[in-house]
Amino acid sequence: MAESKLTVGIADMKLLQGSGLLVTYALGSCIGLCFHDPRLRLGALLHIMLPLNMETGRTHPMKYADSGIKETLKQLEAKGGSRSRITVKIAGGAKMFEVSGAGGLGNIGQRNIESVHAVLRRENIRLIGEHTGGTVARTMLFDVVSGQACIRSYGQKDIIF
Amino acid sequence: MIKNYDELTSLEIDTLREIGSIGTGNAATALSQMMNRPVRITLPEVRIMGYNEAIEWIGGPEEVTAGVLVKMSGDVGGIMLSVQKLELVNIVLETMLGESVTSYEGLTELARSAMVEIGNIMISTFINALSGLADLNIKLTVPAFAVDMQGAILTVPMAEYGGMSDYLMAIGGNFVCDGKEVPCHVLLSPDLRSLDFLLRKLGVSDG
Repeated sequence: MAESKLTVGIADMKLLQGSGLLVTYALGSCIGLCFHDPRLRLGALLHIMLPLNMETGRTHPMKYADSGIKETLKQLEAKGGSRSRITVKIAGGAKMFEVSGAGGLGNIGQRNIESVHAVLRRENIRLIGEHTGGTVARTMLFDVVSGQACIRSYGQKDIIF
Repeated sequence: MIKNYDELTSLEIDTLREIGSIGTGNAATALSQMMNRPVRITLPEVRIMGYNEAIEWIGGPEEVTAGVLVKMSGDVGGIMLSVQKLELVNIVLETMLGESVTSYEGLTELARSAMVEIGNIMISTFINALSGLADLNIKLTVPAFAVDMQGAILTVPMAEYGGMSDYLMAIGGNFVCDGKEVPCHVLLSPDLRSLDFLLRKLGVSDG
């Protein structure tokens, strides 16, 4: 039987339990977070785009590191996941373009990395693997059973961690 | 009132399409002069799309493309991005340097700078047309260049203004050169204040 593979879009999150792969494509300055509860074989992949939620309407919690992580934990806990077991691996936060001159781009990738670190620390979640920064895009695959993550980049070897 | 992309009226979208038409038309002329052969542009489309929709529209997240990005400031602030598929790159390279490449990995330094130049021409002729049309003063940064998965390239303008909008505006058309049609995508991503200002300046906004 072919393993199920669920695609997670931008500003999106998906949960899987029992078996299957989660994948999110082309993380640039965005960050992909793999949440794993090994005992329940429960996993979630979250794809955030920005560091902090300052929207008043709060229509897209998964777009932001702070509200996205909180919402994902809430949904994992609803499935029986426990914060003491849940571990996280992250990838992304790259800088795709080096814009010179006054008023260059805000370094969103770096701000995303810092925000993810801060929120995970605040929520008491263990970060056990990280491939962030740099200048290349990353596609992230996550096996919810083993908790293994794989990063695919253009012109580079795959990284398994 | 500052509008979001999804609140634009059909008149406003038509106006943006017209800007796209004039902008890409001028870019085609510039490209044509550079290569000394006729280049036409088909009628461009203006799309206002959600993030994931935009990535599907341009051809999937993992497809590798070359992107040239410029930041705008002055009367209109925002980002302009030109996404170049290999087919367009090869037409230009064949004409100008007598070489072609099968993948982005085989790019020579000269080919890379030619690609930056194509992007730069596309963007600056586009912006010149827009400035002339609406009597605006727009400053541009030096172009930045990246070859990578286009999904990640596209998220740059998305992330820059993602706190304000869930949508992205893209203008796409096809260049026709020697009977060959190659897709060409330009993303004009003004911040919302500038979009509002632009539409008012052109006299189509009711705000």
